[in-house]
Amino acid sequence: MRAWKRIASLGLAATMMASLAACGGGSDKKEETSAANLPTIDQIKIGEDYKDLKAEVKVLTNRTDIVDTVYKGYAEEFMKIYPNIKVTYEGITDYEESLNLRLTTGDWGELCFIPTSVNKSELADYFSPLGSFQTLDQTYNFASEAAFDGTVYGIANGGTANGVLYNKKVWKDAGIKELPKTPDEFLKDLQIIKDKTDAVPLYTNFAAGWTMGAWDQYIGTAATGDPAYMTQTIVHSKNPFTKRDDMTGPYAVYYTMYEAVSRKLVEEDPASSDWEASKGMINKGEIATMVLGSWAVEQCKQAGDNPDDIGYMSFPITVDGKQYAGSGGNYCFGINKQSKEDNQIGAMVYLKWLLEESTIYTDEGSIPALKSEPLPDALADFKDIELLPETPALEGEEDLFDEINNESEVGINNNDYPDCEILEAALYGSKSLDEIMNTWNDKWTAAQESKGVEVK
Amino acid sequence: MNENEAYVRPKKKRSFSEWFKSGDGQRATVIIVFLFIPLLLLLLFTYIPFLKMVQFSFYDMKYIGGKTFVGLKNYIEVFQRSDCFKSLFVSVYYMLGAIVQLALALFFASLMVFGVQGSGVFKAAMFFPYLICGIAVGFIFKFFYARGFVLDSLLQMIGMNIENIPMWLQDQKINNISLAATSVWRYTGQNMILFLGAMMSVDSELYEAASLDGANRWHQFLYIILPSIKSIVVLNIILSISGSLSAFEPPYVITNGTMGTGTYFVIMNRLAHENQKVGLACAMAIVLLVIIILCTIAQKLFFAYAFDDGTDDESKAAVRKRKKAAKVALKAQQGGGSTV
Repeated sequence: MRAWKRIASLGLAATMMASLAACGGGSDKKEETSAANLPTIDQIKIGEDYKDLKAEVKVLTNRTDIVDTVYKGYAEEFMKIYPNIKVTYEGITDYEESLNLRLTTGDWGELCFIPTSVNKSELADYFSPLGSFQTLDQTYNFASEAAFDGTVYGIANGGTANGVLYNKKVWKDAGIKELPKTPDEFLKDLQIIKDKTDAVPLYTNFAAGWTMGAWDQYIGTAATGDPAYMTQTIVHSKNPFTKRDDMTGPYAVYYTMYEAVSRKLVEEDPASSDWEASKGMINKGEIATMVLGSWAVEQCKQAGDNPDDIGYMSFPITVDGKQYAGSGGNYCFGINKQSKEDNQIGAMVYLKWLLEESTIYTDEGSIPALKSEPLPDALADFKDIELLPETPALEGEEDLFDEINNESEVGINNNDYPDCEILEAALYGSKSLDEIMNTWNDKWTAAQESKGVEVK
Repeated sequence: MNENEAYVRPKKKRSFSEWFKSGDGQRATVIIVFLFIPLLLLLLFTYIPFLKMVQFSFYDMKYIGGKTFVGLKNYIEVFQRSDCFKSLFVSVYYMLGAIVQLALALFFASLMVFGVQGSGVFKAAMFFPYLICGIAVGFIFKFFYARGFVLDSLLQMIGMNIENIPMWLQDQKINNISLAATSVWRYTGQNMILFLGAMMSVDSELYEAASLDGANRWHQFLYIILPSIKSIVVLNIILSISGSLSAFEPPYVITNGTMGTGTYFVIMNRLAHENQKVGLACAMAIVLLVIIILCTIAQKLFFAYAFDDGTDDESKAAVRKRKKAAKVALKAQQGGGSTV
């Protein structure tokens, strides 16, 4: 009796030790592979270098809808030039959350979209350097998005301009000749559309969540004309969400949303809106306007029989007589620094091919990764609007925006819920916009204080 | 007796190999070998993650990157934030839903036990929702409640005007009820099967005997079925209440916690994944664990009192009466003794 009890407890203890050791073992393996032997991406010549390299490259992507069709097609095309480099794709639903966890294990594949939750100072812990910022900035758009300390760790998969998607025919039928330039003109036009046509003037897509978060993208360049606003200014500003007299700045963006909802210029029941269906509806002219990035243009054109009716205008805010639009990179590609060296090089070759030779940017209608390539057709209407990419953050402050943003829970560009709250407040009439903006200001100030940020 | 002999018998020193070859040793080996894998899995996927979570709750950390020890700050914040505990009120809707669900399940199970034509079909049909995964249920109801979709069309078919139909997910008076109803739909069948299983074990001769004595169906339910399946009922109530406190799938999938439908879990998820405050979310999880434990203990105590059931032969009331009588008698005896 006693003997087996003792053995049983020994066994238990052994089990515990073994499983603990297994846990510990995982983290010990994370030894640095030296990056010294890797080329930089600008040194590689596609079709000439590394023809003999044998490598396996696994690419992780969030586009589960096209991973087995379009993306697989790219891989096959690439493997015609490089038959020894085997490229496979893996689609991940719930991309951000899964990848957060998988990154820490180090064993996830070779090439992925860098999740937005990785701070810039942490890039070097997970991703191999692709080259110096100075060199790559001359070739690629948005090179600063995943750069730290003068080194680039990721290159954006093309980019997006931020404007407003609209159905040209509906706007014309309503008798609107000139596109709006201020929030109030915009709201007036929506009212005209409501009165004169059957279309929903502004479709919020509230139920999807991220579509509400998309409004955050306009509070920077589009609302202030300052491409450094989001990266340098807002972290140091006192009460950035306060109303400005000339109707610019973040307040003006949220004012547009709040007023459109409280004046009933949006869909009847936002809680049951449906994003997939909305693409077809704007194509058919059942929706007049949606506030989304330019990446949505191509999708909405393809969603029905009237691709030519889809237009793209800038966000209706004018700063000192001029309209601006921000542009930003999509997800950045990063290479796993813990993968085998040959595989890393293979991944870099594929990345370069994808950025420079593939048709990915025409297919997706986004701003191409190469600076030398022309803007997509979707942005044809952006002639008079100045398109500005964001200025990189000051040295030493690369993480500051993320820290304050997370600490304050205002969640610009990463939490949709605060934007949803604005819509709810407008819908139920429970809070005024000023009240909400004041709360945001308070949270922002508290976060600035807790991080010891100098406020100008 | 045989087992005790080992202790009684004077101990003879055995070497390990001798012990190993003996019956005792073989039994111990088998037990250890069989326990190893389940224990390993339990540790690996339950206890170690749990201990890690306890550890994380004392840190200020994100999923990736460094962490700093902050002591009890996260716990203090949980109690200071307005959104954490307010969200527990949303759970009240799910608790009320759970009561409706148990009542329905009991009702249907009793119908089945008394014999219904085609009860197999009914059983299968009612149990089926439980087999669908929670996320899929969410999507089903997202479209069910959407303006102008299934529910609205059905109501219009029976003559209701669309203007008089509320917006199921938007109207804050009813949207939590709509969501709680989805979980009632999902779990009623499962509860029913559990009840039915317990009811089947009741001796059917009792019904016959009772009906000879003039008891109707209601009496049979109240005096025969309910007392016999009491422990299952209590178990189901406890499970439903703790389930209500941790309701997640319906609000997360259908409304994403907007429009005042955010339950505790939804808020926790938002803090952890969108604001990257992993430490705070872990602290919230542990606070919820404590709340659930307290609720369970409170319920156990309550049921121990309310359903205190005496023995097989006498009802609780009879036991109480008897004890009271005994007490009075004792008192009288003592009282009598002291005056003498």
